[in-house]
Amino acid sequence: MHKWISQEIIELLESVWTNEEKGANDEESIASSAKTTVTEDLLAECEREGYITRNLSEIELTPLGRKTAEDVIRRHRIAERLVVDVLGMTLEEVESDACEFEHLVAPGIIEAICTLLGHPRTCPHNLPIPEGHCCRKHEHHLDSVVTSVDNLNVGDRARVAYVSARNYSRVQKLSSLGISPGVTIRLHQKFPGFVIQCDETQIAVEKEIAKDIFVWQDDKVTG
Amino acid sequence: MSAIIDQNDLKISEKKATQASPRLLLIGNPNVGKSVIFSYLTGRYVTVSNYPGTTVEVSHGKMRYGGVDWEVVDSPGVNSLAPHSEDERVTRDILLEAPPDVIVQVADAKNLRRTLLITSQLAEFGLPMVLVLNMMDEARSRGIEIDVNGISELFGIPVLKAVATEGEGLYDLFKNICKAKIPTDPLNEPRERLLAGEGYENPGHTSLPLQNTFEWMQTQDANLREPVENYLEKSGVEDEIFKPESRLRLRKLSSRLDQLRNGFLEQSVAKYKKTIPTVVDELRSGVVLKLVFILLALGTLTFLYTEIGRAFGLPTPYSLLTTWLDGHALPRLIASLDGLRLGWLGRLLFGTFNSESGAFENGLLYPAVTQFALLIAPVVIPLMMVLRRSRLFGERLGYWSRDWKTGVPMLLVVLLLMYEFVGVIGAASLVDALENTIFNTFLTPGLQAIIPPGLIYDFLLGTYGLISVGMTYALAIVLPIVATFFIAFGLLEDSGYLPRLAILSDRVFRVIGLNGKAILPMVLGLGCDTMATMTTRILGTKKERLIATMLLALGVPCSAQLGVILAISGSMSLGAVTTVVGVILSQMLLVGYLSSKIIKGKRSDFIFELPPIRIPILKNVWTKTRYRMVWYLREALPLFLLGTLILFLLDKLRMNGRSGLDFINSAFSPIVTGVLKLPERSSQVFILGFLRRDYGAAGLFDMVRNGLMDSVQIVTSLIVLTLFIPCVANFFMIIREQGTKRAMLILAFITPFAIAVGAVVNFLLRYFGITF
Repeated sequence: MHKWISQEIIELLESVWTNEEKGANDEESIASSAKTTVTEDLLAECEREGYITRNLSEIELTPLGRKTAEDVIRRHRIAERLVVDVLGMTLEEVESDACEFEHLVAPGIIEAICTLLGHPRTCPHNLPIPEGHCCRKHEHHLDSVVTSVDNLNVGDRARVAYVSARNYSRVQKLSSLGISPGVTIRLHQKFPGFVIQCDETQIAVEKEIAKDIFVWQDDKVTG
Repeated sequence: MSAIIDQNDLKISEKKATQASPRLLLIGNPNVGKSVIFSYLTGRYVTVSNYPGTTVEVSHGKMRYGGVDWEVVDSPGVNSLAPHSEDERVTRDILLEAPPDVIVQVADAKNLRRTLLITSQLAEFGLPMVLVLNMMDEARSRGIEIDVNGISELFGIPVLKAVATEGEGLYDLFKNICKAKIPTDPLNEPRERLLAGEGYENPGHTSLPLQNTFEWMQTQDANLREPVENYLEKSGVEDEIFKPESRLRLRKLSSRLDQLRNGFLEQSVAKYKKTIPTVVDELRSGVVLKLVFILLALGTLTFLYTEIGRAFGLPTPYSLLTTWLDGHALPRLIASLDGLRLGWLGRLLFGTFNSESGAFENGLLYPAVTQFALLIAPVVIPLMMVLRRSRLFGERLGYWSRDWKTGVPMLLVVLLLMYEFVGVIGAASLVDALENTIFNTFLTPGLQAIIPPGLIYDFLLGTYGLISVGMTYALAIVLPIVATFFIAFGLLEDSGYLPRLAILSDRVFRVIGLNGKAILPMVLGLGCDTMATMTTRILGTKKERLIATMLLALGVPCSAQLGVILAISGSMSLGAVTTVVGVILSQMLLVGYLSSKIIKGKRSDFIFELPPIRIPILKNVWTKTRYRMVWYLREALPLFLLGTLILFLLDKLRMNGRSGLDFINSAFSPIVTGVLKLPERSSQVFILGFLRRDYGAAGLFDMVRNGLMDSVQIVTSLIVLTLFIPCVANFFMIIREQGTKRAMLILAFITPFAIAVGAVVNFLLRYFGITF
């Protein structure tokens, strides 16, 4: 279904998109932020393939180009979310890995990751993640598969999917108190603080930490 | 496997022969009864506590076992051997630096997952161990059954059941210490496979657990460097670890190892822990329970009605009964005691009749006992009965105490009860009884009769006499207040209420750069700021410790001072009291808020384990109270005497007809009389306040009693004294905890700040012509 697009074109389209977000569309700033050398040949090729239109030094995405760029940006930013939240890497470490990642992952898998992460709306740099099919579907069916503890209702039971690993010592501390992937928890209280029952232990956490604990909310989970 | 065990047995006996004493280490989660088992093994009791921090100093004891003296070490509670707290680091270091001969892991039977997490981590250290599943009674009452034999087979170590507080299973444990075995590590094989796939050598039994390598990479903890480097060298990857690309690889490996362990724990819990639905225990004693509930409701209502009635001068059951006692019962009793020539006993127990107030005053038994029997007992005793009978109620009470809708009213009731206990029984009744009866009626006149007037008389019994002032202040005024406060604090602590208060107050503390955990040192500060400064160690980051220390020094009055303030405020209007409290609280919030912005660093995460609500175990409360009182007396009494001595010397040293005190008074008078518009003599109060804040407050009380101050002056001086520099002991503690430089900075900030706030308040009150 996807026609093979060269690496250079993808990098260029990404750069056009991100510059557009900042409100810039001149060739100079697009060339400087692209992770590839922007040559006249490349621009001409893009125009020929119908990804961009050029008007003097201003570059605009065509609908096809927009669709392709959106796809790439989405993959890139979801990948960033994944490595930061689940693998617990820092933003500096992220750049190179997420970059490789976006080229490797098939679209179907990105949907799955997006669902696992609970359809995140922004990347770790706080830039918007373009919506995918799964996100739009999710808006119609309100049952989210993975949600954070602060979205649970008091009395809900849920199974821990993962703990956002942005803060390593936080993950370790929660895990030593018994909150780790696979464990069933029950939310006792939300205000003024969160109280989570896990096994026979009651653990009090603040809201910021409750937001970092992601769970599968499943009616079938009992006990 | 058997070869390893034989070697292990050999190792112990060899050590017995060569070394002075083999070592036994107790390890376990916080609040699982390690300290009780420690005291059983060694015969020495240490403080049992509901929050981390009190046992951070490791306890050592001796045990006679198998004809040899063993050293028993009680390690701080840990949730994991990959450390995240001071306590966990201490325990991990004990394991790394001086491996014990036997480990006894003490565990909470109902929390099997957390138990096995530590057991599986200990298995990596490869030291002989025994596992004790403690608190079996609580597990049983929750319908939890644990397959002890299964766990024993899984790790190849003895696993025992116990209820340490009842003494159940302890002898069994004692007998089984010699049967300790090196555990088989169930994760060893899967880990080896995982690591081999990644090209690492499994650290196995003898070397450092791999987890520590990852931890070292995260924290760069200096203690770990050497063992980690040894391990890496052995695995032949020591160069690789410093490359950024292998960091990511190791990070991923670490998370896969975590997954491995988590999977193992899930499986084991599912396999070895069975929960049988229990008959709800409410049903067992339905009628009795209902009666007790009614009693509790009646008691609480009466208590609240009495508190409100007191404020508005309404007749209450309490006032009616005491009027009857004062008017009819006691005079007759005293008369009959007089007839038996026991009048002195009557005076000692019930005090003397004061015709002005129409009541008996200064007795040892009365009114402290009536206060307790009529006001506190009707709430507390039914509450304890319900808690004993119904676990469900305990859980609900725990919930109510941390939900703000019910938690805030409950906090008010708890504060009122504390006020009745500490403020009225301790600060008013017991102080009066001790001061007026023992010191002023018996001891001082008795000594006055023996000692001839002169320097010695002045030294002991004069205006600044060691006995008439120093001892009286320390033992008759301060001790009863501190003792009752520590009892009340111990009860709250042991019942599990304080951690719930931490949830309730988390948001307020966040404004001042702290989190809910700070409630513990802050409340303890109401008892003794010095002790509370030491307790700030439980806070997660340096920034939090600094802010808490400063706020304690700035605005938290200690119990003795609070007692004296309460006594003074008895003679003040509600407006004056509100002004004092409002100014101090607002200044604390202001300073806390500003310092949270100025001081660099982070606030720590608020993750807190809630212990179950339970009836305080009186033995624990008593041990803690005794420990704290001994600490306080050792700390306070010498300073009280020193303070009196300094005043005595200043008073006696005369130059040109003026005493040293006069010099100090006039030296400080520009500030005291000029800026603060206070009587000159109050300089002494502030100087004394540095020796002990409560001592200063007591001096202030004296001046108020003698009518030397008007209401604005009282308000100003109370504010300045409360905000003023901490007492000497607290200052030394700040130096110890924070270093001299920071202590000096705190001092340099607080002193002018207190005076400035006092001056502003004084100016505003006088400018607007407000008197109370």
